[in-house]
Amino acid sequence: MQLNGQLALTILMGLFLVGVFAWLTRVENWSGYTPLSSGGSAVSGESGYVSEEKPAGIVRWLTTVDHKDIGLMYGAYGVFAFVVGGLMVILMRTELATPETVLVQPGFYNSLLTSHGITMLFLFGTPIIAAFSNYFIPLIIGADDMAFPRINAIAFWLLPPAALLIWAGFFPIPNLIPAQTAWTMYTPLSAGVGQGNQMNAGVDLMMLGLHLSGVSATMGAINFIATIFTERGEEVTWANLDIFSWTILTQSGLILFAFPLLGSALLMLIADRNLGTTFFAVGEGGGAMLWQHLFWFFGHPEVYILVLPPMGLVSYILPRFAGRRLFGFKFVVYSTLAIGVLSFGVWAHHMFSTGMDPRLRASFMAVSMAIAIPSAVKTFNWITTMWNGNIRLTAPMLYCIGFVSNFIIGGVTGVFLASIPVDLVLHDTYYVVGHFHYIVMGAITFAGMAGIYYWFPLVTGRMYQRSLAKWHFWLWMVGTNITFLAMILLGYGGMPRRYATYLPQFASLHQIATLGAYMLLLGGIIWVWNMVQSYFEGPVVEDGDPWDLEASGLRTVEWDWFDRKLQTKIADGGEEEPVTDGGVVEDESADELDTDE
Amino acid sequence: MDENPGLSEQYRTASPWPFFIALSIPLAEAGILFNLFAVAVGGLLLFFGCCAGMLQEAGYVDRPWRSLVVGAVIVLAFGGLLLYADTQVANEAVQLAERGYAVLVAGIILFVGGLLGEVFVDDGEFAV
Repeated sequence: MQLNGQLALTILMGLFLVGVFAWLTRVENWSGYTPLSSGGSAVSGESGYVSEEKPAGIVRWLTTVDHKDIGLMYGAYGVFAFVVGGLMVILMRTELATPETVLVQPGFYNSLLTSHGITMLFLFGTPIIAAFSNYFIPLIIGADDMAFPRINAIAFWLLPPAALLIWAGFFPIPNLIPAQTAWTMYTPLSAGVGQGNQMNAGVDLMMLGLHLSGVSATMGAINFIATIFTERGEEVTWANLDIFSWTILTQSGLILFAFPLLGSALLMLIADRNLGTTFFAVGEGGGAMLWQHLFWFFGHPEVYILVLPPMGLVSYILPRFAGRRLFGFKFVVYSTLAIGVLSFGVWAHHMFSTGMDPRLRASFMAVSMAIAIPSAVKTFNWITTMWNGNIRLTAPMLYCIGFVSNFIIGGVTGVFLASIPVDLVLHDTYYVVGHFHYIVMGAITFAGMAGIYYWFPLVTGRMYQRSLAKWHFWLWMVGTNITFLAMILLGYGGMPRRYATYLPQFASLHQIATLGAYMLLLGGIIWVWNMVQSYFEGPVVEDGDPWDLEASGLRTVEWDWFDRKLQTKIADGGEEEPVTDGGVVEDESADELDTDE
Repeated sequence: MDENPGLSEQYRTASPWPFFIALSIPLAEAGILFNLFAVAVGGLLLFFGCCAGMLQEAGYVDRPWRSLVVGAVIVLAFGGLLLYADTQVANEAVQLAERGYAVLVAGIILFVGGLLGEVFVDDGEFAV
């Protein structure tokens, strides 16, 4: 029986490889390559199907190495993961509307909280940032494409298998259960020892998926560093490099140091689980403390990996609607770099209550407090940029202001947590959950939304529906503050994290948090509807400067690019265009001008 | 409409290799970790085969065959390491040898493929 299984697998694998080989020979004319002396990515005078133009249909998306296409795929992927992670938490918040378990069993609740965290951080957060950076950094710095376009494509295509592995436990596969380790994967629970069920292969698959997403992020980071260093246009210098590129450059540096460490630690943990090693074994190995140190040495820079580029987005977008240049540009850049360096010196503030050496604890407290300074410098710069400015409350601007507001609350609650005595009281309570959700939802996701609304006309050539965008913003702004302020209050009351049940005294605040979560759900539905409907039916943008930035002298190069794109569209005169965008012949300019208001 | 205003028309915007390289990494990892012989062999073949193809496409090498042989040497070394590690592990439940054989088989196929290609494929087909 087992032999038959192996045989079937072998035949299946063989057929798959033959199929891939046959498809590749059809798509690529191997013998026709013209090697380049430079070894660069631009290839001239070659033959073969995919070399002359973008292929049609689905093959275009499977084979593209164009940074804009890859950016769009990152975006679509990130949005999908965001919806999945969001629905997971809606299930959890619904369960938490009552003190006892009604909807989901505690074990499944633990699985949901594990997957919600990993999905939002690694499958939504990092990719949605990569969406913006892939699409816009080459345009903004005047590069033809990323330095390594194919590595760029590999980095993206690692993510779908990563998601399948991370979610594998939820699929109806026999003998496979989802991980219940929380995203921090603390040993010995995650090492699968003891009487629990975490030795299951579903946990291994989740770790493999996480490892893959780390490989993907590292590849992307190397690519961005190389691109920003070597592919800048002649007119782009270090002195006038834009703030978004600065934050992506810093983030890439952090990824380069942090993610390989996560990958190594995960491989050690996988080896402990499957190959009999004792890296994290209690007594013989490093024990639980070694895992926590390794994990948080990655885990805290990860926070800044996620927040620096959104800070860059806000620094980039907010001045456009304040009618002024970014106040103290240099100091925002210095703060970014300072945060990047300091972020590697704060990791043990996640471990204050583990019984580590108090002298070490004090030093980590000092650095954790110190990192608030560059963050505050940025916050004051954003506020001063708006001060006496000509503020236009468009949807992207609302999200930028929402970012600053939520970031202040999330940041100040964090300063309290950095203090050892306060942390010892609040550790592992809902206060921590409220604090970091103010940052990841209230700040990072808000900045992402600012970017999405700001560049929606550039990417789609259409305008979103403004009133729906306002509904979206206010539902999210109010919903975020209701949900996460309730959590901070729950934490003050002593409500511990990661429980499907709770004492009846916490019921009111939990129900308020659930109400807020439903507001977020409603806002999210409005947002998706707005994006999809506007993509197909929104008013066509005919002006290369839809935000009217020229008037205040704040127009940036990507809008010049968009303008040139529109100009060449007009020059085409509405005739059938050459098949450059996947073989779909679009002739919008003639008929849709009449229909769209 | 010009999708890439100002960009050289010679710029290549599609490549079939990255997708399969990305697919091969989880296949090889899962195959080796869960001791699935065929998946491990297939994943490694796909990875190093596509890497060779991509190196040629990007113009870093003229022909893919020697890249296959280099890949084979890396794979064979890793397989050998697994076999050696198996002799050092006392735990009966840990079967590194089977994983090592899978990696070695992939290495041998890559090596033979590279060798045959180098010897028998006509250079004229790869003329510049």
